[in-house]
Amino acid sequence: MAKVLVVDDEPNIVLSLEFLMEQAGFEVVTAEDGEQAMARVNDSQPDLLLLDISLPGMSGFDVLERLRGDAATAHLAIIMLTAHGRDVEREKGMALGADDYITKPFSTQSLVQKVKALLAGKQP
Amino acid sequence: MTRGGLPKRQRLVGLWLLLSGISLFGGAVFAAWLDTQLAPAGWARAALWIGSFSGGATIFVAGLILERMLFTPLRHLQAQLVCLVGNPDAHDEQLPEGWLKGLGPDLRRVSENWRADRSRLATAHAEGARSAARIRQELETLLQVLETPLLLCDHHRRVMLFNQAAEDFFIDNTGLGLGKRLEALLPVSSLPQALSQLPRDGSPRELLVPCDNRWLKVILRRVPGSDGETLLTFSDATASWSNEMGVRAELAQILTPIRQHTASLTSAADALIQLRDQNDPSTSLLRQRFERVIQEEGATLGEHVAKIGQLLDDMQHQGERLTPMWSNDFWQALDERLDPERRLITPVGMPAWFKGDAPALIALFNSLVKHLSNYLPDSGFEGEMCLGNKRVYLDLIWRGKAIPEHELAEWRQQPLTSLPLNPSVADVLRQHASDIWSLADENGIYARLRLPLPAMERVGAPREIAPPRPEFHDFGIADLPPPSEALASRSLRSLEVVAFDTETTGLELRRGDTVISLGACRLVNARLLASETFDQKVDPQRPIPPASTAIHGIVDADVAGAPLLDVVLTRFRDYVGEAVLLAHNAAFDLLAISHQGIAFDIPVIDTLLISRALDEALVGHDLDSLAQRYGLTFPPDTRHTALGDARVTAKLWLALLPRLEARGIDTLEQLLALQANALDRQDASVL
Repeated sequence: MAKVLVVDDEPNIVLSLEFLMEQAGFEVVTAEDGEQAMARVNDSQPDLLLLDISLPGMSGFDVLERLRGDAATAHLAIIMLTAHGRDVEREKGMALGADDYITKPFSTQSLVQKVKALLAGKQP
Repeated sequence: MTRGGLPKRQRLVGLWLLLSGISLFGGAVFAAWLDTQLAPAGWARAALWIGSFSGGATIFVAGLILERMLFTPLRHLQAQLVCLVGNPDAHDEQLPEGWLKGLGPDLRRVSENWRADRSRLATAHAEGARSAARIRQELETLLQVLETPLLLCDHHRRVMLFNQAAEDFFIDNTGLGLGKRLEALLPVSSLPQALSQLPRDGSPRELLVPCDNRWLKVILRRVPGSDGETLLTFSDATASWSNEMGVRAELAQILTPIRQHTASLTSAADALIQLRDQNDPSTSLLRQRFERVIQEEGATLGEHVAKIGQLLDDMQHQGERLTPMWSNDFWQALDERLDPERRLITPVGMPAWFKGDAPALIALFNSLVKHLSNYLPDSGFEGEMCLGNKRVYLDLIWRGKAIPEHELAEWRQQPLTSLPLNPSVADVLRQHASDIWSLADENGIYARLRLPLPAMERVGAPREIAPPRPEFHDFGIADLPPPSEALASRSLRSLEVVAFDTETTGLELRRGDTVISLGACRLVNARLLASETFDQKVDPQRPIPPASTAIHGIVDADVAGAPLLDVVLTRFRDYVGEAVLLAHNAAFDLLAISHQGIAFDIPVIDTLLISRALDEALVGHDLDSLAQRYGLTFPPDTRHTALGDARVTAKLWLALLPRLEARGIDTLEQLLALQANALDRQDASVL
C-alpha cells in the first residue's frame, strides 16, 4: 500500500485529506510544519507528499528544495498545495521541482486522481 | 511688372547689330552708287566712302560705348538692388561702373544708411525686449521641464505651443506640430464641441478621449483674457479606466453569486444537521439531496474564488505604478545605483519591454545584491531578460551556487528603507504579483536569481530622445487667417509653407527614374523652423546610376532597407498637412512625387518662376546662382542633399518675400498669378 504524507498546519483540511486518502486506499501520515515533515520523510519513507506552501517556520518551498537537494529524496513524488493561487507561485513550485500544484479550494476527486496518476507514473 | 523695365541683353545686342548692319550695308550700297555716278578720284573718292560708312560706324561704336558704359552698369545696378532688397545684410561691395560711377557714393550711402537703420531698429527692439525675452526664457525653461504634457491652441484649434512632455507623450503620433490642427492629434468628434463650450473664466473641463489604444484624460481650460485660446493637459487614464471598467467591475459583479452560493451552502449544512438530529430513516433521500447541494455549492464557490484570484492578479498587473520599461534602461539605472564606479552588471541576451515600478524594483535589487554578496563574485554578474508566455524574467546570473530558499525567505522580509513607507521585499514582490527564486543552471557552473514580471506587447528599442526642440511655440499662429477661409486671400507671410526637394536616380522621371531621397522643412509665419524637418531615403528598387551618384553622392547601399516610395509619400503627405508646397523648379519635384493614391492637390510655390518673373533681364535662375545673388549662406556639404536644397529654397523664398511685397504682391492668389504668367512667357527650351 502506497504511503502519503500530508503536510499542512490547518487541522480541518488535514482531517479531510487524511480521510479521503485512506478512502482511496492509501496509508496516511501527517505533519503540521516543515521540520516535522522532514522528520516524517526520514522515518516513515512516504511515496508521495501533499505539501502546503505556507507553513509555520520552514516554508513548503524550503522543504521542497531540501528534499530535491538530497539524493535519497530527489525523485519523491511531491504535490504542492496552496491557498495562494497566483500563477507565479505555481511557476515557482514547478521551477523548484514539484510534480504538481493544486490551489485551494480544490476538487477532492481531481486530487485523488492526480495522486493516483502520479504514483502510477513514479512506480511503473 | 518687369515689362517696361530694362530689355533683355540679347534683344538689345540684336537690335544694335541689326541697326549697325543695315546702316553699314546701306552706306556701302549708297557709296557704290555715288561712286559709279560721280566717279570721283583720289581724296574725293576716299571721302565719299568714309562719309557713307560713317553713319553705320557711328551706330556701331555708339552701341559699343552704350553697352559698356550704360547698359552693363545698369544691369549690374539692378542685380545690386536685388541683393540689397532681398538680403539687406549681405555685404556686396560692388559699386556702379561706367557712366553710373557717379551714383556709387549715393548707392553706398543708401545701403549703409539702410543697414544702419535696420541695425539701430534691431538694437532698439532687442534692448526694449530684453527683459521680456528673459521672462520668456524662464517661462520656456519652466514649460520644457514641466512633466505634465501640455499644449496651447488658438480658437481655430491650431497648436501654438507644446512642451517636451507633450512631445514624449505623443511620441509615435505624427499629428503633433506647430500650426497643425488639434484634430490631427486627437481625431474625436467630442473635442471640438467640448472646446466650443468651455467656460470663459478658465475653469477646467475634463474629457476622456481614446487615442492610439490609450484612454487620455484631457483637461481643457480657456485661457482667460485671451482670444479664445485653450490650454490642454494630458494624462494616460488607460490603467485606471481599465481597472474601473474591467477588473473592478468584474470583482463587484462576482460578489453576488458568491453570496448566493454561500447562502445555499450554509443553509444546506444547517438543514443536514437538523436532519441528523431527527434521526429518521425516511429522510435519507432528503439527506442525500442536501449533501449533493453542499458538494455542488462548494465546488461552485471554489471556481468563483479562483476567478477572484485571477482578477486580483490582473489588477496588480494593470497597477498604475507599473509603467513600461526597456530592460537595457533598467539594467543601466540599477548599475548606476549599485556601484557607479565599477559597473557590476553586464546585460546579456536580447533586451525586452516589461512593466514594473522602476524605483521600487531598483531598491529591491539594490537590497538583494547586498544580501547576495556571499554568492555574487566581486567581478560582477550578468543581467538577462528571458521571455516567457505572459511574463518576462529578470535574471541575475553569476558563476557559483544557487541561493537556498530559506535564505531568500529571510531577505524577503527585509525592509526597503529607501522607499516611502519602508515596504519589505515581499511587499514590492506582491505589488508586482511576483516572487523570486534561485536556480542552478543546467550546466552546473552558473546560477541565477529569477524575478518574473508582466511582459509588454511592445517590440523594438525605445526611440532615442531627441535634443530639446529649439522651437516649440509660435503665438503668431493665432493671427493666421482661419483655416476654413480660402487660401488664396492669405498674406504670403502668414502661409504655412513646406519647402521640399527630391534626389532621384536620374532626370528621366517619365522613363523609370524615381526618388531616392526626399527632404523638407517647414516655414510658419515666415520663419524657418529648424527642427521641423522631414528627411527620408527611399528604396528606388533599381540601381542608382554612377552619373547621378556623382551629383548627390547617394549609392545603392545608402538606400538599401529604406522604405518604398508610397510609404514615404504617405508620411510626407501627413507631414505637409495643410501647408502650401514650395520647391525650386517645382515641376520636376512634383512629377517625382506624383504617385497613385497620394494626392498633393495643394498650391505650389516655385522660386524659379518667381525669380524669373521678378528679374526677367537677369540670367542665371538656378539655385546656386540665386543663392549667390541673394548672399544666402549654408553649411558646406549640405547642397545637393534633399534636405539641404529644401533649406536653401526656403531661405530663397524668405529673400524673395520682401521684393514681392515691394511690388504689391501680398496674397497667395497674386503670387500664383505671377507664377503662371512667368510660366506662360517662358520659352520651354530654357526649362
